[in-house]
Amino acid sequence: MNATLSLLCSLAIASSASADLLAIRVGRAETISQGTIEHAVLLVEDGKIVMVGEDLPIERGIPTVDRPDWVVTPGLVNCYSRLGLDSAAGNMFEPQVRAADELYPLQDVYRDVLETGTTTLGLYPPGTGIPGQALAVRPRGKTLDEMLIADSVYLKIMLESSAKSKKVLREAFEKVDEHDEKVAKALEKWEKAEEKRKKDSKKKKKGDDDDKSAEKGEDDGAKDDGPKEFEPPEPDAKVQPFIELREKRLRAMMRINKAGDYLHLLDVIENEKIDWFLRIPLRNDIDLFKIAERLGEAERLVVTDPSITLMPNTRRERNIPAELARAGVHVALIPRRDSVAGHKDWLQDVGELVARGMDRQAALAAVTLEPARAMGLEERLGSLDPGKDANLVFWNGDPFAPGTKIEAVMLEGAIVHGDVR
Amino acid sequence: MKLLKMLPFLSTALVGLAWFGAPAHAYALQDDEAEAEDEEAEDEDESDAWYAIVGGDVYTGTGAVLRGATVLSKNGKIKEIGHDLFLPEGTEKLDARGMRVYPGLVALSASSRLTKGLFQAEPEPDFDPHLGVDNLHPDGRANAHLDTGNEEYDEVADIPTDADVLVEGQLLRQEIADSFDPFSQYLVLALSTGITTAEQSDTPVKLKRDEIKDVDMGPKNVYSLNFSLSNPNSRRQTREKLEKASDYLRRMKAWEAEGDKDKKEPSKKGVDMNYVRVLRGEVFAAFNANDREELLDIAHLAQRYRFRPVINGCMEGWTVASELGRAGAYAIVTPRTRSPKSEELVRPGGSSIENAAILHSHGVQVAVIPGNTSFELNGMTGRDLLHLPVEAGFAIRGGLDERAALDSITTIPARILGVDHRVGTLEAGKDMDAIITDGDLLHYQTFVQYTVVDGKLVYDKEEEIFFAHIRPRPELPALDPGEEPGEAEAVVDEEAPADEDAEEEAPPESEDDDEGEGADDQGAGEDDDGRL
Repeated sequence: MNATLSLLCSLAIASSASADLLAIRVGRAETISQGTIEHAVLLVEDGKIVMVGEDLPIERGIPTVDRPDWVVTPGLVNCYSRLGLDSAAGNMFEPQVRAADELYPLQDVYRDVLETGTTTLGLYPPGTGIPGQALAVRPRGKTLDEMLIADSVYLKIMLESSAKSKKVLREAFEKVDEHDEKVAKALEKWEKAEEKRKKDSKKKKKGDDDDKSAEKGEDDGAKDDGPKEFEPPEPDAKVQPFIELREKRLRAMMRINKAGDYLHLLDVIENEKIDWFLRIPLRNDIDLFKIAERLGEAERLVVTDPSITLMPNTRRERNIPAELARAGVHVALIPRRDSVAGHKDWLQDVGELVARGMDRQAALAAVTLEPARAMGLEERLGSLDPGKDANLVFWNGDPFAPGTKIEAVMLEGAIVHGDVR
Repeated sequence: MKLLKMLPFLSTALVGLAWFGAPAHAYALQDDEAEAEDEEAEDEDESDAWYAIVGGDVYTGTGAVLRGATVLSKNGKIKEIGHDLFLPEGTEKLDARGMRVYPGLVALSASSRLTKGLFQAEPEPDFDPHLGVDNLHPDGRANAHLDTGNEEYDEVADIPTDADVLVEGQLLRQEIADSFDPFSQYLVLALSTGITTAEQSDTPVKLKRDEIKDVDMGPKNVYSLNFSLSNPNSRRQTREKLEKASDYLRRMKAWEAEGDKDKKEPSKKGVDMNYVRVLRGEVFAAFNANDREELLDIAHLAQRYRFRPVINGCMEGWTVASELGRAGAYAIVTPRTRSPKSEELVRPGGSSIENAAILHSHGVQVAVIPGNTSFELNGMTGRDLLHLPVEAGFAIRGGLDERAALDSITTIPARILGVDHRVGTLEAGKDMDAIITDGDLLHYQTFVQYTVVDGKLVYDKEEEIFFAHIRPRPELPALDPGEEPGEAEAVVDEEAPADEDAEEEAPPESEDDDEGEGADDQGAGEDDDGRL
């Protein structure tokens, strides 16, 4: 009742405020955040979701899409892709590189992938080692700015169980310490200079010459006579991303290969207070299940593949994503192949995991909210909640069931594929 | 007891005397209490991890066998072994009644697969230049490829300094620690065999499971020398470097004796510090050698420069065992090696199943490794690391006594790796690395049921996919309802002093007792098979 009232109120306000209002009535909505809502009504305005609820009355005059046989989900989010980007690159330490610099808009793949229901892509830079920073885009737009949702959503870091790999990462953070020391020293110098300057100004022009010569020797930045803002020394471009990591302005995607790598990763970054999540490609013989509980206890986010794998040296199958989800890990699943075809099969592969025991809600979140969380966009994308972008995918049935087709895709309030009328 | 409590300031020695003096069984309970107080006062730290293997027949590896005894460890180190131990509150107990407890095994020249745990089958190097078995070139000829054949080049090759040697060793250890995979299936297989320490590139590594801390056990303890007959050039070099190192040490000694600080320290120019370390006894000199002539040469070299050689292969060692014994050699042998001697030779030669036994009887310290020091999952070859105890069993077949056979896969390899102060036997103060078997370790039927590393259970046969389905674990003797195995053990010992007395009355040569037992068991097993 309350919900109805508030809806009516808001509808009244909304309808008077904007003509861009659209009400959508569908058979079922997978909201991700609040579970499944049958006979759902969504209200969309200015590219944002305004309201979601069960069987809400819609005020007369509001344009309404009425599709009782459809299912709506949030737009799919693939946080780990190189669609439309060149591939080859070697092992490197280039944390300052931005994938944004190689983006080439207006490619067919973006249009095509949008038709598979993927409304957000996280594009990462190529190469192994520490190859650079990813960006989040909507697969639509003529320029980088039109496509861009957020730049520098994560820094990709590959770590393997080897002294060399661990050393690279350890040294990267040590460089930040060195830089911090440098800043502290410069600050000290500046404070001293500032004190001296104040003293000198009190003495007026008495010791002008001494002052100048002293300052020249001490600090190049403090040559002016007037009070000066402290300017910390510029960090090296390759150190800057790690400073941002420490300041939590950047997140790290730690790419590891096997369970053992995780312990070595912790060995390096356990004491670093940074935001990070894991990318672990699944392949046969992976022993990830051995750390499922540890990952769950730490509530880690793991980006992995929707695959059934074999236990090492056996023919026994394991549903590792399901095991991770059960252990309390935030699981994000990406298409098995990074192509348009891969995106078409995406939910079928995830559906296979659901058929083999993965929690359905966890599976839905794994293709929407969790990848959005990986990119730090969980406030904006990934679920059907008021205030979030109106990225919607309309299905003619259960999205995980074989044969289900996409009827329409809405990107930020605009129908970009199919027809809803 | 009251008296004891009233005199708390008596020296501990006196208290100890008083305890010994008290009638053991009548005061057993009070003793426990007093001991408990003692323990509590000593170790109040709640975070201490206590682990006890309770009630097994403990084959300590020092010759003693303690029937139905308990091994207690604190924070991964053995605290006490014996009967009637006080187990602090919160002690984790492993019921080993009816089973045997042995020290964890030590595997020499193990494949890096063990700790790196690569997913894909790692191609076995056909030759490990340090201590590995050279399957393709049992005569050590593989060393030839290391030789450039260019004398000039060899002359100017970098001669490592002290610092180089240290840095290289440090990097190696770091690499091993940083690539350790604590979830590797090969690691679990090693633990299933009872192996708890393995050599990886000359460096001893503790096979820990689920954790990567403190796996590195120390610097490498062997330095490989080449003294192969098939490679005269490197033979000459080895001799030359030994001579230079020896000369350097002589000059150094003279300089020190002189005590003249103003005089310059002897020059290290041209002296390979690895060889100096060998001559100082800081590391063993390791050789790959199988031929009688090579073995003799090595024995003479070792006696001349006074170092102890570790000889890998040592196939014809049985023909020159007394020389090797005099040289204080260690031999790493594979009892199942089969190789006939050359038809052209009149002298005895070729392989012998008695090799280990003969070497041992001449005072050579014998370590055993299988022919393949990796794990083969595609078709059990029966000659891989999974069969380390079986390989030692073949040495027994050749006449080696059982005690020496156990030493050959525990104490001796631990000595070669320089970690015998930590592993190789079950003794107070050493690492709590123990294996619990359902029979004689060296018998082919025996399975390792549990493996404990640093006071943590890391392998339980029934919990792993490898052998759980084969011959399920024998059932333990029934306990009275509501009794914990640890308590039961204590009670049994108190109520049945007769058993203990009987054991004390047994002939003093407890070592032989152990061997007799083992032989009996084995005999019984064979009888059964014979009837089938």
